[in-house]
Amino acid sequence: MAEVRAEIAANVWQVVAEEGQMVAEGDEIVILESMKMEIPVVTETPGVVREIHVKPEDVVQEGDLIAIIDES
Amino acid sequence: MTDDRSRPVSHEGGDVHEWGPLVDDLAGRRERATGMGGDDLVERQHSLGKLTVRERLEMLVDPGTFVEFGMLADHMDAGMGDRYLAADGCITGVGDIDGRRVAIAAYDFTVMAGSMGAVGEDKVSRMRELALRQRIPMVWLLDSAGARISSQSGSTFAGMGALFREQVSMSGVVPMVAAMLGHCAAGTAYIPALADFVPMVKGTSSMALGGRHLVKAAVGEDVTEEEMGGSAVHTKISGVADLEVADDRECLAVVRRYLSFFPSNNTERPLGRPTEDPVTRRVEELYAIVPTAPRRAYDMRKVVTAIVDDGDVLWMKPDWAKNLVTALAHIGGQAVGIVANQPMVLGGALDVNAADKAARFVWLCDAFNIPLVFLHDVPGFVVGSAVEKQGIIRHGAKMLFAVSEATVPKISVVMRKSYGAGYFVMNGLAYEADYIVTWPTAEIAVMGPDGAVAIIHRRTLEAVPEEERAAKRLELAEEIRHNIDPYVAAGHAKVDDVIDPADTRAAIARGLRVSRDKQVERPWRKHGVLPV
Repeated sequence: MAEVRAEIAANVWQVVAEEGQMVAEGDEIVILESMKMEIPVVTETPGVVREIHVKPEDVVQEGDLIAIIDES
Repeated sequence: MTDDRSRPVSHEGGDVHEWGPLVDDLAGRRERATGMGGDDLVERQHSLGKLTVRERLEMLVDPGTFVEFGMLADHMDAGMGDRYLAADGCITGVGDIDGRRVAIAAYDFTVMAGSMGAVGEDKVSRMRELALRQRIPMVWLLDSAGARISSQSGSTFAGMGALFREQVSMSGVVPMVAAMLGHCAAGTAYIPALADFVPMVKGTSSMALGGRHLVKAAVGEDVTEEEMGGSAVHTKISGVADLEVADDRECLAVVRRYLSFFPSNNTERPLGRPTEDPVTRRVEELYAIVPTAPRRAYDMRKVVTAIVDDGDVLWMKPDWAKNLVTALAHIGGQAVGIVANQPMVLGGALDVNAADKAARFVWLCDAFNIPLVFLHDVPGFVVGSAVEKQGIIRHGAKMLFAVSEATVPKISVVMRKSYGAGYFVMNGLAYEADYIVTWPTAEIAVMGPDGAVAIIHRRTLEAVPEEERAAKRLELAEEIRHNIDPYVAAGHAKVDDVIDPADTRAAIARGLRVSRDKQVERPWRKHGVLPV
């Protein structure tokens, strides 16, 4: 199990992945919006997306949990 | 010590030219030294996936150029009895890398775990002296458990430590490289911390202030060397090391490659490297790599690779503070240091580690007369309570300090965003930028439109009914955005030109050409007071 966390305080702009989806290392899970930029949040672990903890327009702080990946 | 070998002595009266036994004896002593810690320990070194110190030296320097100093050294410690320590655990000498001399100290793990003994350290001290006197780079090959601890040494420690002070005085005078080829603790962990470039071999190398056993005794933590100070820790989290490499061979190759960008000392210029790659080459790939949509991210490394000679880049600290890219490359045959924002990570915003990484890299290039190229795409420094607690102001000031101080040619290309202090630390015009150009997509301003609206028009917005507020905010932002325009900057001649992105390589080369004999006078001072 691997956790994907926010690296910066931001608004959630888009949720790209879906729960249950297979993802490879480097795949986008959500896209945040902060500092005038779209900031893709990617998984460093390949596997299956078990849980996504955010939805569009949520506000996340640095370190907040965004998703949980079951490692494959 | 070596007294188990009695020295043959010639006798008067017989053959007075009896050289044979003397020469044989000498050859035997030399052979014993080259045997390092003996066959068993050499085999063990190999079984760990490591090369021996002599194999490493062969790979590091041009064939046949190594001149060894102190091969016949031994520990000379009466307390250690008859034990023989080949070269006292550290091989020192001078060899050529691509035809240029470097001083080398290479620790031998097969001899008492490469521990730092008194004689071995005298040898290393001699190399530091030689490197400074000859003004040539110094390379350490580190595979050493640290200081040789004996029960007698005690408070004789009061006189120790000159090695670090001497290393500090070398800093910025001659290039220093510390290659991490084994588990290094304490003494041998500070050597890399004071060196300019630190590659680490994955799996077999580590550095930590205290080794595993000391850590267990001192703080009760049970941790492996790899977990505590392996290459993953230092190249991804702490930022102490520069580069993770797969094995000894790759490590030694990258040491040679790194030094190829540098002059032998701070009074010389980098050699440069001839290339067939035309300096006026149009880089039309950039149209596909970089989106004109300002909020859209892309991989800055592709931009760097596209514009430099032959696509050949040495990334520095590529796995740490990835929101900023630092790299050594050549443009038009001339060595350059590239500092570039990375929109893929944190939107390219600067945080404490990115500022640290940039400052350090700028100081490195400036010390050795390597011109700097800044590629701007930075929304600014990250703001908020989290980064304030990390000391973002202090770290940001450090980058500002380094860029302000640097007197090498400094070229800037503003590709897209360059906001606030982000513009300054990326070598804005006021930072003695020698040539600063923008793309048509450039946005230079104290802050972005949304932030500006929130500050300038806060009262106006509060007066508007809530349901109309969002629309009003957009309208006001649009007004501000209208004035954030590269042609406003160019119209005031606050940038030197606006260029077609495909001409970026040629523009940088022009900048380097017009600034090559740059001279800067500053008021005398001992040194600035660094915000670190």
